Amino acid sequence: MANKGMNLCNVCCLLLYVITAVLAGRDFYKILGVSKTASIRDIKKAYRKLALQLHPDRNQDDPKAQDKFADLGAAYEVLSDEEKRKQYDTYGEDGLKEGHHGSHNDIFSSFFGDFGFMFGGNRQQDRNIPRGNDIVLDLEVTLEEVYSGNFVEVVRNKPVAKEAPGKRKCNCRQEMRTTQLGPGRFQMTQEMVCDECPNVKLVNEERTLEVEIEQGVRDEMEYPFIGEGEPHIDGEPGDLRFRIKVLKHPVFERRGDDLYTNVTISLVEALVGFEMDIVHLDGHKVHIVRDKITKPGARMWKKGEGLPNFDNINIRGSLIITFDVEFPQTQLDENQKDG
Amino acid sequence: SVAENGNITMEIMYTVHVFVKSLLFVLLWSNCEGRESELNYVTCGSLVKLLNTRHNVRLHSHDVKYGSGSGQQSVTGVENADDANSYWQIRGKPNRPCQRGAAIRCGQAIRITHMKTGRNLHTHHFSSPLSNNQEVSAFGENGEGDDLDVWAVQCDGVHWERDEAVRFKHVGTDVFLSVTGEQYGHPIRGQREVHGMSSPSQHNWWRSMEGVFIQPSQEPLRHDEL
Repeated sequence: MANKGMNLCNVCCLLLYVITAVLAGRDFYKILGVSKTASIRDIKKAYRKLALQLHPDRNQDDPKAQDKFADLGAAYEVLSDEEKRKQYDTYGEDGLKEGHHGSHNDIFSSFFGDFGFMFGGNRQQDRNIPRGNDIVLDLEVTLEEVYSGNFVEVVRNKPVAKEAPGKRKCNCRQEMRTTQLGPGRFQMTQEMVCDECPNVKLVNEERTLEVEIEQGVRDEMEYPFIGEGEPHIDGEPGDLRFRIKVLKHPVFERRGDDLYTNVTISLVEALVGFEMDIVHLDGHKVHIVRDKITKPGARMWKKGEGLPNFDNINIRGSLIITFDVEFPQTQLDENQKDG
Repeated sequence: SVAENGNITMEIMYTVHVFVKSLLFVLLWSNCEGRESELNYVTCGSLVKLLNTRHNVRLHSHDVKYGSGSGQQSVTGVENADDANSYWQIRGKPNRPCQRGAAIRCGQAIRITHMKTGRNLHTHHFSSPLSNNQEVSAFGENGEGDDLDVWAVQCDGVHWERDEAVRFKHVGTDVFLSVTGEQYGHPIRGQREVHGMSSPSQHNWWRSMEGVFIQPSQEPLRHDEL
């Protein structure tokens, strides 16, 4: 009898667990691969990386690709919004039924542009389609941002070609026309010939774009947003490209992945040795200990304290510290000489 | 009577549930509205097209030099809205970069750099070709020119708002960026002359239109332990 009771209890528990699991909805943190305490920047970074990997166009032989991609979009939509994230943390996915803002396409294009799913490669295929102008924006970034990464939100207000009533002239070109003036006499003239197309008007639309400053990014690197450039009424819009410009830093100089800095020590420290901390770009301290004589111009290499390498952020360059020795300006008096 | 108690509890729970959900909905809604108003300023580093509100043309430049005056790159007003040569970047004064994403204040001195050619909006004591006002040109290389590249944004209020008409007053010669309607012929047929005029008038109001408006970023995270 006891056994039977226990079995029933187990079954009930199992059933309850299954129901809860099903009703609780998706684990958005797991889908994005971030911890529950992830910052908004971590979430954006995770989304951008996974969106490129999981896009259905890139996974054409995976039947679950659409679902995985949809899950990713839902996860980002909730976790990137402060209010929705709080609701989700407290009530689970079920607590979120109201207020579905924006489709996944909107989210994806805010990171990559309207035609971002073409990933650059497919776009050049049809050279006969005219393209609108490209826009290049020089984006200034600090060395702190190169070290730790960052996201820049940008509002793009652009003219978009929309259908309008009536017709317009399009594909205008010069053609040679032959007219007969009389028997055996012809004249060739140049004429402008146009087709008729549906009428188009330009309407300004606005959307937010997310530009990632990736760790280790180098000067002149570009982040394209496909289709976010200027429109072409007879063709496709051009692209918007953000060109990185790394600003000079007052303390650190960048050379590749290495950082160079100068530190001034006193004459006593140069002779006797010293211990100090250098504050790095993200606030952490680099501890330096020296117990030998330090000549002016001497250098100390700190491996792993440089910038992360853009292609593999687990590899870092070095921090090279050059020591300047400060000699006293005035003559030493008797007491100082004794000391 | 147990069943009755059960029913009442259910009802109370239901009411609480509805109340909480409505409260959350209201909070969510108001938060959405609040966020939109931050996106209304012209900020440091943004690309903009500037529309002269009296003549409905956009500030424009291109690789065409003036045939008279200084012979520098010409600056004009164009009617069409889809030319990338009408984009200008808002930057700080020489040697005093402004912080990326910071809203431009009324009265702030800025440089207006032509995106495609990297030359700065510039004016000097030369006569403009059509109206004999002060010639406005695009000058410099890669965003660096000289002290006559600086303009002050004149507006009411604290910051330059995107949908507000403002004036640009030149720091150095004190003229206002203006259009009075004179049109060029070949090879830039239909484009209007842009020049500097000494008095403010209805001809020197400009509004930001299309563009790429940079929002202020958070400081990168600081890690105090690796």
